[in-house]
Amino acid sequence: MRYSEFTPFDIVLLAQGLGVTIGLFLATTLIGLLIGVGLATIRYYRLPVLTQIVTFITELLKNSPVLVQLFLVFFGLPAFFKINVTPVEAAVITMSGNTAAFIYVIAVSAIESIGRDQIEAARVFGLARWQVLRHVIAPQATAFAIGPLTGLLVNQLQVTSLISVIGVMDLTKIGNTLNLRTLQPFVVWAVVGVLYYLCAKLIAWLGARLETRLRAHTAWKGL
Amino acid sequence: MRLDLSILVPHLGFLAQGALLTAQACGLALIGSLIMGALVAIARTSSSKWLRRVAFAYVDLFRNVPFIVQLFFFYYGLPELGIYIDAFTTGVLSLSIAGGAFASDVIRSGILAIDPGIIEAAEVSGLSRRTTFTKIVLPIALRTSIRPLGSVFVNLILTSSILSTITLNELTGTAKIVASDTFKPFEVYVVLLVVYAALTYIVSILIGLLHKRLNRDLVDGAVA
Amino acid sequence: MIKAENVKKVFGTVTVLEDVNLTVNPGEVVTILGSSGSGKSTLIRCINGLEKLDGGRITVDEFDVAKPKELAEARKRSGTVFQLFNLYPHMTAVQNITLAPIEVLKRPRAEAEKEARDLLASVGLGDRADAFPSQLSGGQRQRVGICRALAMRPRYLLLDEVTSALDPEMTAEVLNILAKLAAEGTTMVFVTHEIEFARQISDRIVFLEKGKLVVDLPTERFFAEDGGLANPRVAQFLSKMRKD
Repeated sequence: MRYSEFTPFDIVLLAQGLGVTIGLFLATTLIGLLIGVGLATIRYYRLPVLTQIVTFITELLKNSPVLVQLFLVFFGLPAFFKINVTPVEAAVITMSGNTAAFIYVIAVSAIESIGRDQIEAARVFGLARWQVLRHVIAPQATAFAIGPLTGLLVNQLQVTSLISVIGVMDLTKIGNTLNLRTLQPFVVWAVVGVLYYLCAKLIAWLGARLETRLRAHTAWKGL
Repeated sequence: MRLDLSILVPHLGFLAQGALLTAQACGLALIGSLIMGALVAIARTSSSKWLRRVAFAYVDLFRNVPFIVQLFFFYYGLPELGIYIDAFTTGVLSLSIAGGAFASDVIRSGILAIDPGIIEAAEVSGLSRRTTFTKIVLPIALRTSIRPLGSVFVNLILTSSILSTITLNELTGTAKIVASDTFKPFEVYVVLLVVYAALTYIVSILIGLLHKRLNRDLVDGAVA
Repeated sequence: MIKAENVKKVFGTVTVLEDVNLTVNPGEVVTILGSSGSGKSTLIRCINGLEKLDGGRITVDEFDVAKPKELAEARKRSGTVFQLFNLYPHMTAVQNITLAPIEVLKRPRAEAEKEARDLLASVGLGDRADAFPSQLSGGQRQRVGICRALAMRPRYLLLDEVTSALDPEMTAEVLNILAKLAAEGTTMVFVTHEIEFARQISDRIVFLEKGKLVVDLPTERFFAEDGGLANPRVAQFLSKMRKD
């Protein structure tokens, strides 16, 4: 005898959870992009002490579990700084910081992939450093970075599932709720898994499309 | 607002137990991942189209579904099938399957990078497919893929923290308990963060050394 | 006896071998000459089963290489030495040589190792038996490759441009060993650019031109004005090779 059957309303619940997951994913991706690219730009200008600090923090964030980072922000910050942090706030802060760390590394590598000869040529023609950044480096670095970036974003989507542990009502948390109520783990987790899978595939497809468009100008057009 | 790490001292023994459990789980999962990864990589490079498709589907699935969902699937689902295994075994199983998906990609690249001439020499001397794989293909592929396999292992260590959600008292699990016991979550989790980062750093260094050692005979050195 | 009858091999739209007929009798040394792309290596690769035939038939001691079970038997009777050596990089010279005898012929390890070391000593590599390929020069690697083929005690030795990747000094090392083998009565099928050497050790020379076997003569006849040289393509080929 089953505790409770599935109802049509469960689809609404799943949709809500999916909405929270995607919303949080997009928001933290955007913030992460801004911070990550911003830090990479700072490194481009070679400010001495800042670069070391940034490298240390990003390495720490990249090489520690996201779950622990979430606990630190959600449980640790309120206790230490005597402030209130809601689950969603903690999730946004943690995921943004984590994403930013990885994007920083990708951006730095993309910028460094641009040949020095181009930069030197531009400088010799009198372009200021920010102009070189804007017109020479940025377009090419972006095209170069799309591939690794897409891979990263697919991964970060999976990582968002951890925010369920601190109580955010994302897709995974809805899955937990449904599982506890209907006691049909195979169905529940298979459906949740498929939804994440489809979203991941969508991101990968969009990334591939974007990359083709950005690289179009370097494509060999033939004679 | 003082950072007082000394409150952790009485709990170090307990935390060490958690760390030991993490080490055990990751060690076993590493072996599981390598075995799964090798088998799937062989399937993906086989001449059977069907085998290649199935292997690809496995890798695709377990790389695009969050680990925690996979874990819950097994942890809550297996009892439904009448399979009652403890949290530790479920955790190791889950890590092996997920790790195997990533490892298979790495090993597959390693297999594809082998000079085909070497395989031809093996074929022509009459070696069976199985012997060619176990004595020639895999030993070479594994040696050249040590570094990326090291990344998979590092990833395994970080992912193992998620096992704390199925009541396993590994490092993160014990840290949670200590955090609530001492009412000092900030100190506990900061230390935990640094410990994990230090752990992965040490593993990376060891992997680098292992790579050097295993490959020193493969790289063209001094010529007689 | 190796017998190739009406052999045809196609790669995509290119016919690499067409209607090739060749017989190699036990004890013979047959050299296959021809310009690049004439199909020489492909013919060897058809004999040891690395390439599948698109027409015709090849048998090694009556075993048809097109049939998997018979191919296994055919492969036990022939040994191949490759242009790029193809040594197993993660194994020492001795291990390279003993792998197949132990795994395929099921010889005891001690016996296989002793024979391997003896073979290495006979080619002048007795003190390098435990070296890895990366520690050996090209000529040394090829000598190990020859030992590896010989360890299977093959009836026929197939040699696919085995000195083309070596500099002159190393080439001489390897050719000396091959000359010794020929003198001892080993059956060899030899694809090479070393015309002078071929002339010295071969019993017969065949010439491939664009996939067709156009000349098949005993060595002396091949280099005679009214024999092989009567064929304009052969004359052209030989003069070009002599110039280089």
